[in-house]
Amino acid sequence: MILVFLKACIRVDNPEKITTSKQNTAQTPECALPKAELFKNITIDGVDYRQSQTNVGKYGGEINTSSVGEGPKTFNPWNSKDATSSMFGDLLFDGLISTDAYTGKEVPLLAKSFEISPDGKVYTIHLRHGVKWSDGQPITADDVTYTWNTIIAKGYGNTSARDNVLIEGKMPEVTKVDDYTVKFILPKPFAPFLRQLSVSIAPKHIVKPITDKGTAAFASFWSSNTPPEQFVTSGKFRLKLYIPAQRVELVRNKNYYEIDQKGQKLPYLDKYVVYIVGDLNNEVLKFEAKEIDILSLQGNNIARMKELEKKSDFTLYNLGPDTGTTFVVFNMNNRKDKKGKYYVEPKKQKWFDDINFRSAVDYAIDRESLVYNILNGAGAPLFTAEALPSIYLNQKLKNGHNQDVKKAKEFLKKSGFYWDKKGQLHDKAGNLVEFTLLTNAGNTEREATGVMVKQDLEDLGMKVNFKPLEFNVLVGKVVDTLDWDMVLIGLTGSALEPHGGRNVWASNGGLHMFNQRKPDDSTHDIYPWEKQLDNLFEQGASVVGFDKRKAYYDKYQEIVYNEKPLIYLYSPLRVYAVRNKFENLCPTRLGGVTHNIEELYIKDAK
Amino acid sequence: MPIYLYSLKRILQAIPLLFIVSLISFFIIRLSPVDPLAELKLNPSISPQTLQAEKQRLGLDLPLWKQYLKWSVSFAKGDMGVSTTGEKVSDKLMERIPNTLLLTITTIIVTWIFGIPLGIYAALHWRKPIDRFLTMLTSAGMAIPSFFYALLLLIFAVKTGWFPVGGLTSIGFEGFSPLHKIFDITHHLFLPVLVLFTISIAGLQRQMRGNLLDVLETDYVKLARAKGLPENQVIYKHALRNAINPMVTLLGFEFASLLSGAALTEYVFQYPGLGRLILEAVIKSDINLVMASLMIGAIMLILGNLLADILLSLVDPRVTSVR
Repeated sequence: MILVFLKACIRVDNPEKITTSKQNTAQTPECALPKAELFKNITIDGVDYRQSQTNVGKYGGEINTSSVGEGPKTFNPWNSKDATSSMFGDLLFDGLISTDAYTGKEVPLLAKSFEISPDGKVYTIHLRHGVKWSDGQPITADDVTYTWNTIIAKGYGNTSARDNVLIEGKMPEVTKVDDYTVKFILPKPFAPFLRQLSVSIAPKHIVKPITDKGTAAFASFWSSNTPPEQFVTSGKFRLKLYIPAQRVELVRNKNYYEIDQKGQKLPYLDKYVVYIVGDLNNEVLKFEAKEIDILSLQGNNIARMKELEKKSDFTLYNLGPDTGTTFVVFNMNNRKDKKGKYYVEPKKQKWFDDINFRSAVDYAIDRESLVYNILNGAGAPLFTAEALPSIYLNQKLKNGHNQDVKKAKEFLKKSGFYWDKKGQLHDKAGNLVEFTLLTNAGNTEREATGVMVKQDLEDLGMKVNFKPLEFNVLVGKVVDTLDWDMVLIGLTGSALEPHGGRNVWASNGGLHMFNQRKPDDSTHDIYPWEKQLDNLFEQGASVVGFDKRKAYYDKYQEIVYNEKPLIYLYSPLRVYAVRNKFENLCPTRLGGVTHNIEELYIKDAK
Repeated sequence: MPIYLYSLKRILQAIPLLFIVSLISFFIIRLSPVDPLAELKLNPSISPQTLQAEKQRLGLDLPLWKQYLKWSVSFAKGDMGVSTTGEKVSDKLMERIPNTLLLTITTIIVTWIFGIPLGIYAALHWRKPIDRFLTMLTSAGMAIPSFFYALLLLIFAVKTGWFPVGGLTSIGFEGFSPLHKIFDITHHLFLPVLVLFTISIAGLQRQMRGNLLDVLETDYVKLARAKGLPENQVIYKHALRNAINPMVTLLGFEFASLLSGAALTEYVFQYPGLGRLILEAVIKSDINLVMASLMIGAIMLILGNLLADILLSLVDPRVTSVR
C-alpha cells in the first residue's frame, strides 16, 4: 500500500485530463524508494545521529527557490503569524518530531524516540545525546521544558501554539526526568497533541533573558533586522543574510546531527536561497530566466510548461490535489439577532434547512466541468470534508457522484417545489426561489466558479444573484453579521490532522459558518447531526492510534456528505517544475518537493 | 523678504495642509470596508481570544476618532507607529528609501544629462530633420505606458539572459570587490532606469526645446543678434539663461516625485523600493504604513515646491522682488 502511495512522484502526462493519473508511474523519475526505514538512529562517539538511508551524495552547490509575498517578518518561530515567517522559523529550529513525507506518520527528529502510555496521557520524549546548538551549547531537556512551560504556556509571541494544545483550558504538564528525557502529562487523552510536538525548540540560554523582559521584548526578538550572527539555531541551515524584498540566504549548518551512510554530515548543499518575489508572474519569469530552481505551477501555466519541459532542463511533478478546498455553503441559521430580526428571511430558512434542497444543489453542480474549465483540468472534483491528500480521507466517499439534474429535480419535487410556465422554481408556499450567491472579488478563479455554479442552479429554475464582494466584507458577513444566503469560498485544510477542522464543524466553533452561533442569539437549538459531529470530534481527539481515530473521522465525513452543510466542489492539483540538476529528489504528496532538502545534492557540483 | 523667513512662512503654512491631508486619508482608509484581520478570521486554527488580542494590539477596538487622535499625536512626535506585523514603520521605510532614492536620483541625473542638451540641440536645429527625428522619438516615449514598457523589457531580459529579472543585487554580493559591486548594481539598475528615463526624457527634452525656442523669438535676442554679437554668445549667454528658468521649477517637482514617482516600475521589476512596500501595505490595509507613506508623499511635495521657489529666486532675482 505504501508503495502505491509513493507513486506521488508521478509526472504530469496530459494536463488537459489529469486528475490523479496513476497509470503514468512508468515515467516516474528515478527516485530513491524508501526502504523499511527512511532514517535510522546511530550512535558514534556518544553522539546520537540521525542517519539518512538514501544514496550518498557530494557536497557543494546551491538551491534557489522563491516565496511570493512580502518575505519573512520575523525569524522567531514562536512569534510568527504568517506562513512565510513560519516556514523560515521551522527551517532554522527543529522540533522534537516531524512528519514522514511518505506515510504522514509522526517520526522523531530532534527527539531520538518517543513513547505514548497506553492510556494516551503520558508522552515520554528521549532526546539525542551530544546534539548542539549552533553556538556549541548542548540541546537538553531544559530547552524543551523551557519552550513548553514558558514560551508556549505563558503565551509569548503567537498564542495559537497554546490554543492548539489547551485541553479543556489546561496546558499539558511538562517535566524534566533527566537531562535527556522529558515527560508530557496531559489532563486527558488528546490525540492531536502528538503533532504539536513538532513545535520548534528554543535555546534556553539565549531566549530566557529575553522572556524575562516581557512579551514586548520577545515580540521584537530575532526579528527580520537582527544580524544573522546573533541567531543560535538547531536546523539544517543557518541564516546568512536577509535583504528585505530581495532574498534570504541560508547556509549549511555544519554541525547538523544528520549523517549519510558514509558518516558524512548533511546537508550536502552549501546554500539555500529564497527569493522574495512580489507576484506569481514574476516568479514564472525568474524560473524561465533560470534564477530559481523550483516553481509551483498554476492551472494555465501547466500546459505551457509541459510544452517547454521537452527541450528544457526541468521536470514537472504532479503531487496530486492540494489541501485547499473550494465549496459553497448555505446559511442555515434560523435564529434572530439581538434586535429580534432574523439573520435569514424565514422563507429562505425553509429552503436552506431542507436537505432535499441542498441535495438538489449538490447534484446539479457539474464539478467535472468546473475542473476542466476553471482549473484547465489541473484539479480534482471534491466531495468530502477532508481534503483529497489527507491521510484521514474517507476512501468510500472520495469519488462522490456524477452530476444528475434529473435526480436533483426529484429531490426538489419531494419537498413540494414546483416549476411555473417559464420554468422558474417556486416553493410549496408559492414563493419564487431567489437568493444571492456571494464570493470574494478579485479572485478570478472563484468568480468564474461562481458564474458556472449560478448557471447550474439556473438549470434547476432557481434565480441566483451572483455578487462578488471585497474579501474583507465577505468575511465580515460570514463570521460577524451573518446576513447572507449562499457563499462560495475556500479553506485550507491539513493533510495530517483533521482536528484542525473543529473550528468549522463543532457547533460552537468560530467558523461554523453554515449555522454560526452568537452568544446573544434568541434560541440555541441544534440539529441532531450537528450534535453527532460535536461528539465525533470530541471522541476522535481522545483516542490514540491512527485506526481508531480514523473510524471517527470517517463517520464525520459521512455525515457531512449526507447532510451537505458544505457542498464541496474541487481542489487544484499541485504541480511543480523542478530543475533536473538535483539528485535524491523525490517529491511526495505529503512532503512536497523539499521535504528531504538535506539529502539533495548536485551531481556535478564544483 | 529674506529667503529663510520666506521658507519659515511656507513651512508654517504647510502644517494645516498636512493636518487636512492626514485627516482625509485616515478616514478614507478606515471607512473603506477593509479589515486587516479578515484573513485571521477565516483561519480555522485561530481562536477568538487570539483575534481579540490582535484587535487590541492594533487599536481596532477603539472608536475611529480615538484611533486618529492616537495616530496623529504619535506622528507629531515623530513616531510612525508599528505595522500590522509589529515592525516599526520607520525601520521598514528606512530599509527601502535608500533603494528608491538610488533609482530615482540615478534616473534624474541621466535624464537631465541627456534631456537638456538634446532640447537645446533640437531648438537650435528647429525644423531640421534631426529635430523632427527627436520629436518622433520623444513622442513615442511619452505615449508608451510605463507598465507595459517595463514588462516588455522584462521579457527581453528573460529571453536574452543579458539582464537579471528584477532585484537589486546578485547572490554573493556582500563578498564582491567594490568595483564588482558597482557593476552588479548598475547591471540590475539598467532596465528600471531605462524605463523611467524613456518616460521622463520625453517631457524634459520637449520642455527645454520649447523654452529656448520662445526665448530665441524675443526682442532682446533679436537685438543682440542685430548688434552683431557672435551667435554663440547670443545663445549661451543670453538666451539659455532665460530659457532655463522654467526648468528649475521642474526640478522642484522632480524632488517631489523622488520617493513615489517610480512605484509602478518598481513593482514590475520587483525592485526592493518603497513602491512595492506601499502597494502591499495598501492591499493588507496596514494603516500606519500607508499613512506614513502618504504623509511623506505630501511633505515631499510641499518641500519640492518650496525648493523650486528658492532655486528660482537664486537664478532669477526678479522672482523675489515681484513677490
